[in-house]
Amino acid sequence: MPEPTRILVVDDDADMRALLVDELRQEGYEVTEASDGAEAVLACRGQTFDVILMDKNMPGPSGLDLIPGFRRASPASRILMMTAFGDVSSYVEAAERGASDYLFKPFRMDEMKLAIRRALGLESAAPG
Amino acid sequence: MTHLTTRLVILLAALLMAVTGAYDYHHLVQERDRAITQAGEDVRVFAETLAVAIRKNVRRSGTTTELQGLLDGILARPGLMLVAVFDPGGRVVVSTAVPDVRPPAVDAAIDTALRRREPASFTLPTGSPQLRVIRPFRWLDDRTAAVEVRQSLADIEQDFTRSRKDVIVSRLVVLLLFVVSIVAVTRWSIARPVRALIRGARAIAEGDLSQRIDVTRSDEVGELAREFSRMAASLSTARQALLAESEARLGLEREVHQAQRLAAVGMLAAEVAHEIGTPLNVISGRAEILDRILAADLPGRRHLDVILRQTERITAIIRALLDYTRPRRPARRPEAVVPLLARVADVLAGRDRAKGVRLRLDLPWDLPFVLGDAEQLQQLFLNLLTNAFDASPAGAEVRVSAGPTPVLPEEGRVGIVRGKADEPSLPIHIVDTGPGMDAERLAHVFEPFFSTKKLGRGTGLGLPIVEEIVRAHGGSVEMLSIPGHGTEVIVRLPLALGEEAPSAARGVAAQEVRGR
Repeated sequence: MPEPTRILVVDDDADMRALLVDELRQEGYEVTEASDGAEAVLACRGQTFDVILMDKNMPGPSGLDLIPGFRRASPASRILMMTAFGDVSSYVEAAERGASDYLFKPFRMDEMKLAIRRALGLESAAPG
Repeated sequence: MTHLTTRLVILLAALLMAVTGAYDYHHLVQERDRAITQAGEDVRVFAETLAVAIRKNVRRSGTTTELQGLLDGILARPGLMLVAVFDPGGRVVVSTAVPDVRPPAVDAAIDTALRRREPASFTLPTGSPQLRVIRPFRWLDDRTAAVEVRQSLADIEQDFTRSRKDVIVSRLVVLLLFVVSIVAVTRWSIARPVRALIRGARAIAEGDLSQRIDVTRSDEVGELAREFSRMAASLSTARQALLAESEARLGLEREVHQAQRLAAVGMLAAEVAHEIGTPLNVISGRAEILDRILAADLPGRRHLDVILRQTERITAIIRALLDYTRPRRPARRPEAVVPLLARVADVLAGRDRAKGVRLRLDLPWDLPFVLGDAEQLQQLFLNLLTNAFDASPAGAEVRVSAGPTPVLPEEGRVGIVRGKADEPSLPIHIVDTGPGMDAERLAHVFEPFFSTKKLGRGTGLGLPIVEEIVRAHGGSVEMLSIPGHGTEVIVRLPLALGEEAPSAARGVAAQEVRGR
């Protein structure tokens, strides 16, 4: 039995978070959820995540601000940012800070799952 | 002016006429007097000749009977009125006279002449002027007799009167001709062109600058007309230049306004997309799950299909809106900053916002070129300068400069940076002396719809747009403020390297950039 793939979902919107958690668990991932930066940092202590799926806009430190911390704490984690579409400038900034991919809300569940698989190196990085 | 000249000329002419007239009159009077003296002389000679003839006749014949014959026909002499011979006793011996003349009689003058044997002559002014000459002579018995001759002076007086009238009339005629010709000449040579000038000036005052004065003369009036035409031409040119300038300014302002509006809509759309992105995602995500797990032949399926279709539709609408309003990628070319700023300053000067705030550009003309989109850079500077103007108290100065270090002193200064400038870059500082902002306020200035301005004044999008533009240009915007002292905005724009910017200026800019 291989190690289950661990995913951390960070979003301040409870419904959005629940949707992502439901969908990812359905896919067989081990999912931990956090509603803000502080909870996310807390969750990172003690275990390593393969993928961190994080909203950009949150109260307190934004997703962008959290990236460097995660990069230091768990360099192996792939970081996926979520934000409203049209927000191209923060896409560039996120990439600069070390996010591996970006999802523009609203995205389809298939899109999200594909991005996760890509981040895990299970799919070709070339867009489908 | 022409009226004054005409009046002066006429007055002088009248004076001249009066003087020459007086001289001529005096001359006439002298002439008359000379004529009267001459006539007196003639009459005296005549009287003497007559006296000699009478004496000889009386001596020869011893009687007076032949004397009447002597006097016959004597009245044919022009102007002679009366001839009478008095004997020593004072009696009239013979006489002849023209009709209507008082008959001769002894009077004091004849009596004196008879007694003293002295000739006498008088001018009688009464009625028609006449000359009376009494000539005594020796009678037969050696006693004294006298001959009286009266000569009319009416001819001379008539001549004089006629000449006087001639002088006056001729002077008046000359004066009249003079006045008429002066008036005509003035009217032709001055009044007419001056009237044309007045018409032209009036037309220009009413805004018709196509007026030219058609006067082809080489005198002062012609020169005046030519100057006038030249003035009208240069006025017309100046007005056209002004018109073109204000049209260009209006065009730029319209362009900037349109860009601002589009950017505002874009910002708003982005904000909306941001806010509804998550809830929409929740709905569509849940619907997708339902779609997957519900049986295909479930009776309620069509409701789910509608939800899926409609969420897709909302997504498409927002995407289309964002595509429409997304700021276009900047067309970056080497641009000189100073002309851009000058154009923006022009736009600002045309607005009421200026309120006496002065703009000082402390920039050398040979600043190195930056790599940018002229239109977007104008928008950037317009937003920043508008903010600076709005923050400034009346009569204050907004300063624009270039340099590696901030203008505001470090003490008490708070700051915020957006974007990251590609090196090497040109830092432009815009400094106002407004109220400034504290750290808390400063932290929000780049958020859309955050405005410190009075309601209805700011859109709350000026600085977010500035941020968008500098990011799209690979530049940065830094905002420094000291509460109570003022605010400084530093925009860093990438230099256009290897372009036609003067090498010396580029060297200086490179130093400045390294100095940061």
